Amino acid sequence: MSSVIETHDLIKTYRDSTALDGVTLSLEPGKICGLLGRNGAGKTTLMSILTAQGFQTSGSVAVFGESPYENERVLNRICFISESQKYPDAFTPRHAFRSAALFFSNWDQSLADRLVEEFQLPVKRSIKKLSRGQLSAVGVIIGLASRAELTFFDEPYLGLDAVARQLFYDRLVEDYALHPRTVVLSSHLIDEVANLLEHVIVIDNGRIIMNDDAESIRGSAFTVVGSATVVKIFLANREILHTDNFASLASVTVLGVLTPAEK
Amino acid sequence: MSRVVNVMRMQLMNRWTFIGIPLAILVSVLGMSWVIWSFIPYDGVKYSGGSQAPMWYFLALGIQSLTMTFPFSQGLSISRKAFFLGTVSLFAIIALAMTAIYYVLSLIETATNGWGVNGRFFALEWIAEGSGFPMMAFYFTAMMVLFLIGFWAATIYMRWQTTGLLITGIGTGLILVGLLFYTTRQDLWNQVGQFLGNQTQLSVAGWFAVVGLALAGGSYLTLRRAVP
Repeated sequence: MSSVIETHDLIKTYRDSTALDGVTLSLEPGKICGLLGRNGAGKTTLMSILTAQGFQTSGSVAVFGESPYENERVLNRICFISESQKYPDAFTPRHAFRSAALFFSNWDQSLADRLVEEFQLPVKRSIKKLSRGQLSAVGVIIGLASRAELTFFDEPYLGLDAVARQLFYDRLVEDYALHPRTVVLSSHLIDEVANLLEHVIVIDNGRIIMNDDAESIRGSAFTVVGSATVVKIFLANREILHTDNFASLASVTVLGVLTPAEK
Repeated sequence: MSRVVNVMRMQLMNRWTFIGIPLAILVSVLGMSWVIWSFIPYDGVKYSGGSQAPMWYFLALGIQSLTMTFPFSQGLSISRKAFFLGTVSLFAIIALAMTAIYYVLSLIETATNGWGVNGRFFALEWIAEGSGFPMMAFYFTAMMVLFLIGFWAATIYMRWQTTGLLITGIGTGLILVGLLFYTTRQDLWNQVGQFLGNQTQLSVAGWFAVVGLALAGGSYLTLRRAVP
């Protein structure tokens, strides 16, 4: 299958900082992909360039095999509500959903209605007066109900409580199962999204440091728990990622794979 | 094409912004002018500049239709071109409708002897001379120019923030001062006066159209690389 996203040596510099530092990436369609990284790592910048909302300083982008910039063949198939998405002042969530329905050909109004109910979103209140969580819910609902072939969610959980976050994850997986598409989910809450992801891209300081299937990443490290001294001898020369000590016990996470003998 | 039409529908999602407010301004300013005319103890023709009021709102509307709606349109994957064409076309339609309203009200104004109190709001002396067409061309182009000034200024702000507006503002100011200086130096004020005195509604509308097209072109080129 050809890739849905293909970038080559993307660089984005601002006057005194580099947001993306040579991002070369390709992503296959039909997966839920996590774009993971710390705040300021370049997640939003990358997504806004992929959707032609922002511009790269140099490098090339192809989405669905073409440049997305001013290209309606590509743009028609994309949805990206950024974490700091602005809405017209006089708009209510209902206005926003009606507008979205005009532009996304796969828009599912009944799904949108159901999500509004589940997120308990006041659709007739001015968007200016919504709380941060309610604002995130507006973006989540547009993203899910758009059913765009390539949908980006940019830290969609901001301000949402635990129940609403779980609701989002559940509905995402549910709807994705019924209507397969490519979903890119940017997040720094890795624990929460870990189980949803089929593919993981990790970005740090504007560089891609990992781009692999979730399965193979899950197998790329292991944790050993036991008496600290024994653990230390056992692990000898391995590359240690993380250590937790409690009294004489240690829990150590290590990069690599255990040999059958070691198990 | 359908996306351009959909941009218009999106801009009109809240009808109050584009249709309700200009009409509310028009009706209330006309009402207030009427009250004032009615108690002025003077029998001659009384003028009001109130018909400008909705037009200045169009300047604000130009700013608003960009600053608030452009970032949203980007979230819905609307191309900058479709956004531009839809927004400017919608505005042309609104300006046309407003012009028609002005024309009809100017006929009523004349027929009712200035709303019964000899007031002039729409059929202002110079603007309303001759047939209806020159007056309509004048109102329409004036509304478009005001809208496009707001729209371009907002686009410049979106693309280059305060620095961009500052440079454009200072630049425009310097050009105007330069023109004043040149006119004075060359002793051209008489000619300028004559030139202005000879203008008709249609020729002014023509100048507005030229300025409007330049503003539209500038707005589009600025918007092409604007980031929401």
